[in-house]
Amino acid sequence: MVRSGIELGVILLTVCISFSACGRVDDQNRSYFLYWSANNPYEIEFADFVVKAWNQKNPAIPVRFQPVPEGRSSEEFILAAVVGKTTPDFYSNMWQGDVESYARAKVLVALDTLDGFLQTISQRCDSTTIAEITSSDGHIYQIPWKINPIMLLYNKKEMASIGFEEPPATYSEYLEAAERFCKDFNGDGYFDRWIGYSEVLVTWLQRFFDFYPLYLAASGGGKLVEGSKVMFVNDAAIKSLAFLQKLYARNYFSKEILSARQDVFLSSVIATRFTGPWEIIHAEKFKPAGFEYDFCPLPIPDDFQGNRYTYGDPKNIVIFNTCRDPQAAWEFLAFIINRENDLKFLEITTQLPRRKNIFSDPYYSDYFKKNQKMIPFARQSRFVRGTDVSPVLKEVFDIISQEYEFCVVHNKKSPEQAVADAAQAVQLILE
Amino acid sequence: MMKKFVLYSGLTAGALMFLYPFIWMISASLAPEQEIASLNLLPTEFTLRSYLHMIDKIPIGRAFINSLLVSVSVTAGVLVFSSMVGYALSRLHFRGRDMIFYIILFTMTLPFQITLIPQYILIVEFGWANTYLALIVPYLVSTLGILMFRQYFMAIPQDLIDAARIDGCGELKILFRILWPNSVPALVTVGILTFMSVWNEVLWPLIVIRTEELMTMPQMVALFAVGGRAESQLGTKLASAALLAIPVLVAYSFFQRYFIQSMATSGLKE
Amino acid sequence: MVSPYLLHLLVFVAFPVIFSFILMFHRWNIISSMEFVGLRNFVVLFQDRLFFTAIYNTLIFLLIHIPLQIAVALLLAEMLNQQIRFRAFFRAAYFLPVVISGVVVTIVWQQLYGFDMGLINRILTGLGLSRVGWLTDPNIAMPSIALMATWKNVGLYVVLFLVGLQGVPEHFYEAADIDGASHWQKFIYITLPAIKPTIFMVVVLSTLGGFSLFIEPYIMTGGGPMNSTISAMLYIYKQGFTFYHMGYAASLGFFFAAIIMLVVVIQKKLIDRE
Repeated sequence: MVRSGIELGVILLTVCISFSACGRVDDQNRSYFLYWSANNPYEIEFADFVVKAWNQKNPAIPVRFQPVPEGRSSEEFILAAVVGKTTPDFYSNMWQGDVESYARAKVLVALDTLDGFLQTISQRCDSTTIAEITSSDGHIYQIPWKINPIMLLYNKKEMASIGFEEPPATYSEYLEAAERFCKDFNGDGYFDRWIGYSEVLVTWLQRFFDFYPLYLAASGGGKLVEGSKVMFVNDAAIKSLAFLQKLYARNYFSKEILSARQDVFLSSVIATRFTGPWEIIHAEKFKPAGFEYDFCPLPIPDDFQGNRYTYGDPKNIVIFNTCRDPQAAWEFLAFIINRENDLKFLEITTQLPRRKNIFSDPYYSDYFKKNQKMIPFARQSRFVRGTDVSPVLKEVFDIISQEYEFCVVHNKKSPEQAVADAAQAVQLILE
Repeated sequence: MMKKFVLYSGLTAGALMFLYPFIWMISASLAPEQEIASLNLLPTEFTLRSYLHMIDKIPIGRAFINSLLVSVSVTAGVLVFSSMVGYALSRLHFRGRDMIFYIILFTMTLPFQITLIPQYILIVEFGWANTYLALIVPYLVSTLGILMFRQYFMAIPQDLIDAARIDGCGELKILFRILWPNSVPALVTVGILTFMSVWNEVLWPLIVIRTEELMTMPQMVALFAVGGRAESQLGTKLASAALLAIPVLVAYSFFQRYFIQSMATSGLKE
Repeated sequence: MVSPYLLHLLVFVAFPVIFSFILMFHRWNIISSMEFVGLRNFVVLFQDRLFFTAIYNTLIFLLIHIPLQIAVALLLAEMLNQQIRFRAFFRAAYFLPVVISGVVVTIVWQQLYGFDMGLINRILTGLGLSRVGWLTDPNIAMPSIALMATWKNVGLYVVLFLVGLQGVPEHFYEAADIDGASHWQKFIYITLPAIKPTIFMVVVLSTLGGFSLFIEPYIMTGGGPMNSTISAMLYIYKQGFTFYHMGYAASLGFFFAAIIMLVVVIQKKLIDRE
């Protein structure tokens, strides 16, 4: 019988401590390699397939996989795992922007020190991509896995009805389309349909779907930051901001959060959207009868010359330093990114492996014949950028996002001023 | 007479203002998608589509269970521990008793803003991030509870306690066998207050829980409302909000007297 | 008997406060090691315009919310204090938003405040008036949130005031009636002084609650438009749990807590003097 409060306290403390030990996801004394995959049903299906195939051929290097939470929460999950030292051996859904801070914390394995890595990578990716994924200390800590390029989704019928058989390609054309499409049907002084929509929220994430892709398009794949230097004080930033500013100032894009209704693109409330291949599955499921849509590259400044780039939302694979045999781990990872499995990935998940020449490689042409909607993305995949190497990327985008809000959404600053202010603030945190 | 009319209309108008948004929320969550944004209270047809869609998108049932688990555990814990300390402070004599009392008063004045970050770090270092422990343990002791129990116990006649001691009861037995049965109002008050505040707590879960399996209900609904997974469907968002509100609404309609009393007395204690 | 409490206190209160104090002088993002930076966090803090904007916003919120809440609560309590039937029903109705989660309240009000499809604006346009940018106009956004917060909490204070009002002895009013005092005069000279302790309690409770304003801007506006609704807590949350600037967030927290204590002390002095 518990005699006193002290005893009770001690008992409870012991219970607590033992609970905390129980709650661990995994301890590092595993006999197999633990692979964390993304949580959506398609990637789980792929992981299942590829792990089974590997285990059959390589029983000496057993692998098991486990899906982890998706979206922003996956980042926190990984963070908690890193702190609690319960990381898996490798993880395939790491956003490229997160890698640098983990690399600097010495949590990831330097992959270029593994046999065969550099060779495989130079076959898979072109030199700009490789430069992009090289960390500030010269090592490479990530394997490019997949991309979802941001492109312009447009309503074919609506566009044709306002005279755009071909979708608008430049800022002027887009603004012209907006002028023709935006209408006030019930005469209350407010537009009832808009040319497009982008979240006006100030969260730093949002800019990956409006400003950043447009900036990349306008600058031909330019950088935002490099080391501790600000790189975005240029025409491309100013022009892309000016373009977006016009869209909001003339109400071609709604400032109000359009969440009080069904999908606004599929119900023709907006005619275009900046989005990625994930839209295809959604659109096919929910589109009304007779609805036709397609994708094209993002608009660029009128005087732009060169290749049209965009943001690819790259997710990469990393090996954590708790892995006891990184070389063996690499064998597995090289397997899942080989040609056959890349095709399998494409087929199951409708996401593009980040492989150069995926469009020109005849190995994949069958797939693209059957999946016409993916062709624009495959073509775009040669001109895709991820994120710059910086451990404070979130803060950079947060600053840009705030200037974006002042300038583009509320028209309170000129694009030049916004860029200058952002540059000043970013310079401070880069030091 | 006129005065009465004005009075009643004012009161009723007030009541409507406070009730209407909730009524609208529930009715809109049951309405077909096109009608959701309309102002009228009765949809042309009732449909559970928003609810079904929501259940499909987020594990709201799981979140409900999590909230229930956490709230019940914390309430039980608070009742036990706060009454222990309240008992000690009111009836037992030991060195440092008064000092502890003042420490308690002092900690009540500390804004939580100071302790938030280090508490999170503590949780992470213990390895409790993404566990129920993170949600339960920091809340196990409620200074308000301690004060209320102390207040209430001070009014209980000493003879009862002395008699129990003579019978050879240990301190804990005295607490649970004698004091508790005689302090039902205090138990109810502290119980309701604790349960409500833990149930509605959302900042802390947002900080320490990032996996969906362990999220509490308000947290899940909040993230659902902010994130994109509702797929821009207003009805679904309202359905999730309605579901979050309904347990409280039900409890409240039966026990509103106790709710009001509890929160009023807690305010008076300040 | 008190040992579990003392243990808990030590671990979850004392240690955090001390650790917070230490953390303020370091730079740490949880995964790397802690790096001592001396007073650097404070140097940054004092140049951090956004933080001061957040504090300013929180103060604006309080300045609108508290008087509004007291006025409405007093009014409703006065009305309830009359000889009426169904008092329990009215009281229960006003109190309902208090127990409902802030998340629910925010989601519902977000729909009320919507610019093109929101209920309030639809009523306004139906009456021929123009739409109001409740959450999109930087000058109105914070007051809108203050209004919503008042709506949510006023019930509690109605109840508290009711208790206070019922404690005012009848004969005070009777004596005033004999002197021919008007209702308004009775209110100012008898009621208000009599319930001063209640008023003070309401002010302090509202203030402490108001300083922890977080979930409403988090859900409704994310801090916009143009940083007009970012509250201090929201900013600290962002620094600590979005960017993981633990050391900086700790210093922000400490600074903010100091401001809170200052405000409460000032309030006490002001009300005591009245």
